Amino acid sequence: MPPEESPSPQNQHCFQRRGFSYDRAIKYFFASNAGLTIVILLLIIVFLLKEGLGFFPGYRRELEIYRIAGLEFVDISRRNLTAHEQLSSVLNRAYFAEINGQCARELKRTREASAVFNSFSDQTSATRDLIVNNQNSGLDPNSEMLAALRKNHAIQKEKALTSLPATPHLTAAEREQLLASIRTRDATATDDPPLVTTLAQQYAAAQQQCAKPLAELRTVIDSFEAAGADLSTLVTEMTDAVTSTKEALQNADLLEQNRKSLLAAAANAKDPTERRKLLADAHASLAEKPDIEGPMRALMRRQPDCSATHTALRHACADILARLPPSLSQSDANRLLRAANKATPLLLDSLGQAPQQITQWRHDKPVPLSDAIRSFLTGKDWVTGGAWQDFYGILPLLIGSLMISFVALCLAIPAGVGAAIYINQFASPTEQSVVKPVIEFIAAIPSVVLGFIGILIFGTVLRDLSQLDALAWVPGFPIEERLNMFTAGCLLALMSIPTIFSLAEDALNNVPSAYAEASDALGASRIQTSFRVIIPAAFSGILAAVLLGLGRVIGETMVVLLVAGNRIKIPDFSAGLGSFFQPSHTLTGIIAQELGEVPLGSVHYRALFVVGILLFGIVLGINVTAHKFVSRTPN
Amino acid sequence: MPSLSQPPSIDVHDMHFSYGDACALKSITLAIPENRVTAMIGPSGCGKSTLLRCFNRMNDEIPGARVTHGSIHIGGIEIHHPSVDVVKLRRNVGMIFQKSNPFPRSIHDNVAFGLQLHGSQNRDLIAESVESALRSAALWDEVKDRLHDSALGLSGGQQQRLCIARSLAVKPRILLMDEPCSALDPIATAKIEDLVRTLKEQYTLIIVTHNMQQASRISDHTAFFYLGELIEFSDTLKLFSNPSNPLTENYIRGTFS
Repeated sequence: MPPEESPSPQNQHCFQRRGFSYDRAIKYFFASNAGLTIVILLLIIVFLLKEGLGFFPGYRRELEIYRIAGLEFVDISRRNLTAHEQLSSVLNRAYFAEINGQCARELKRTREASAVFNSFSDQTSATRDLIVNNQNSGLDPNSEMLAALRKNHAIQKEKALTSLPATPHLTAAEREQLLASIRTRDATATDDPPLVTTLAQQYAAAQQQCAKPLAELRTVIDSFEAAGADLSTLVTEMTDAVTSTKEALQNADLLEQNRKSLLAAAANAKDPTERRKLLADAHASLAEKPDIEGPMRALMRRQPDCSATHTALRHACADILARLPPSLSQSDANRLLRAANKATPLLLDSLGQAPQQITQWRHDKPVPLSDAIRSFLTGKDWVTGGAWQDFYGILPLLIGSLMISFVALCLAIPAGVGAAIYINQFASPTEQSVVKPVIEFIAAIPSVVLGFIGILIFGTVLRDLSQLDALAWVPGFPIEERLNMFTAGCLLALMSIPTIFSLAEDALNNVPSAYAEASDALGASRIQTSFRVIIPAAFSGILAAVLLGLGRVIGETMVVLLVAGNRIKIPDFSAGLGSFFQPSHTLTGIIAQELGEVPLGSVHYRALFVVGILLFGIVLGINVTAHKFVSRTPN
Repeated sequence: MPSLSQPPSIDVHDMHFSYGDACALKSITLAIPENRVTAMIGPSGCGKSTLLRCFNRMNDEIPGARVTHGSIHIGGIEIHHPSVDVVKLRRNVGMIFQKSNPFPRSIHDNVAFGLQLHGSQNRDLIAESVESALRSAALWDEVKDRLHDSALGLSGGQQQRLCIARSLAVKPRILLMDEPCSALDPIATAKIEDLVRTLKEQYTLIIVTHNMQQASRISDHTAFFYLGELIEFSDTLKLFSNPSNPLTENYIRGTFS
């Protein structure tokens, strides 16, 4: 090589002198950027697993305490007691729905009269209070002031009289009488207008009248409620006993943990005096093993008593419930009665099984780790921060997330894919230049803004709509809760439409123009080319777009937290399609809501991490599947 | 004008064509005979492909492209007349593109596509048509055992013959070929050229090519275009042996500047 072509070492940049060329330096710079993101991803996964996987041993220990302290034993009775209480509540509601339905006219009349009077009182009460205070304030009422106040009150009264609510169920004469009594009323009067009192009395009389033929039902309900008293007492007594055992066990666990960390610190301590001190501390905190056998024996002594109470309750309930009337006259009451009839066999069944469960229960049956995992994956309760026992069952959250996503996809797939097909295949350039940015603009709305729009406008409008008689045929209407899964699903659909639209449009765009040309040359019309050539060729890309949209929907947090209603309960599927109008909680929402409040390192904290891992796994799975479809798109 | 022994299949009269403001073809007058192979040659950008795409109105899809003057008659019908159904025109005037473009489907479905497009439902009838189209395109023996495999698994030459079969399946009268062999190796090219020679018994073929040997081998008539104008159109033998225009002579000798 001629010497002038190779620069002397002095002319080289310091990189080059160390054996780096500029090209390699630039290459390493970008390689390190790519590497960094991968490293960060790995760190996140490791962190999630490290924090999360500690959950299962911790939860296992909680379930173990739940068993050895006897809470599980008490829960057999508690469940039945709760079911019994719920059934009596339903029966009571049916009873009152029947009475109120029969006295509907009297109820409306007394409500309207009271509403008129209350509206008047609300508008004048401030001045009235001033007058009363002034009169009572001392021996020397300020007469001038009092006169001014009274004048003011009179003006307010006149004004209030013009803006009172309508009374469609009162006759004109009655209304006139009511208004007259208000008009002539003294500012300091405290008694109700005579009509209000009369109507209230009429209503009470009507209630009594209606209750007479229902006396039989009332006795049935009362005796049913009374039948649960023994079980209730028993549960209360046992509860006190087992919770104190549980506390003792938990405290012992805490002390043990403390001791272990002291020992670990002692092992690491360099200074011998400090080490001795730490060891002494650790020794001092050696926990006394709490006595669990004594309370357990006491609890077990109640076993026969417990079984007997259940059997007695079962007989009582079976007898009583057979005396329920076959039907009632009001539709509301009938609905509740049907619900009660449906719940009855379940309760009897559960009560019947209880004695066997009680005698078979063993406090020293081991709790394997698989129990904790099963309880997490298939548990129907997510109960946290309660005084009794925490359960971390993911099912209600998972079902909520899936149902909301289902609603969202049902709405977003037709809208997003349809818009993409139209824009890519049929729209004029002007339409394209307007519609495309507008749809992509939706993605710019922050999800929290979308959430409060959802609460304030969408939820309210939907609930008001659902109350229209014309829409009563829709399953689930009228909606009880303004915030529900359907509302959340609609907003999530709106959020995922830009994703689905853009990616589907890209997929359609990526179909080689040669396909369209070939199809055109064979004499295909525009629509035939679109639906027989372009869309089938883009199908896997469109599917990938939908899957990525689904990933976005499942991972979305803010909207569901604000709009889904946050009730941790498996929806009541007996409502059919209407179950989509029930509130629920989600995997994402629970993390956002609870993570800020849990003590670091607690079982609850770790449970949220496991939920996070599950969520990560679901979304990762969806994205990997989507990638498979994208790579299958022909180019 | 050269005298033609055959009745004209395509009759172009004083046609001007532009893309927006840019004039691409100027005053083209040309009568293409039936059941013959007509080659169109000329340097890149001379307008020969544009003219070819005028014959089945493929230029309709390009915004701003239009015939500004003159007319094209196919079988006596003015094809740019508003009453003409483009779908019917394209059934009669098939087209083969420079790069083979089979659909990402099975071989059978590719050939059947055009038939299904025009409403054929009968499976037996379709199978029959597919077979005869593949036989006409000299592809049947190579693919008869794998009709339901993806067309994308065929070689380049086979794909191009599949595209020819796909066009033949809808029974056109005229077949337009836009440099059909430019992406193929010599063996595949030879097969296509053989095919063109057999096809001319039943079809009128118009082939745009850059390969002058190919034009001289397979065509009966040749048209030479330069800068959007038709310079010379005559029997292939005459055009290559004794061109009447010096431009043509320069181009076919390769001394073109």
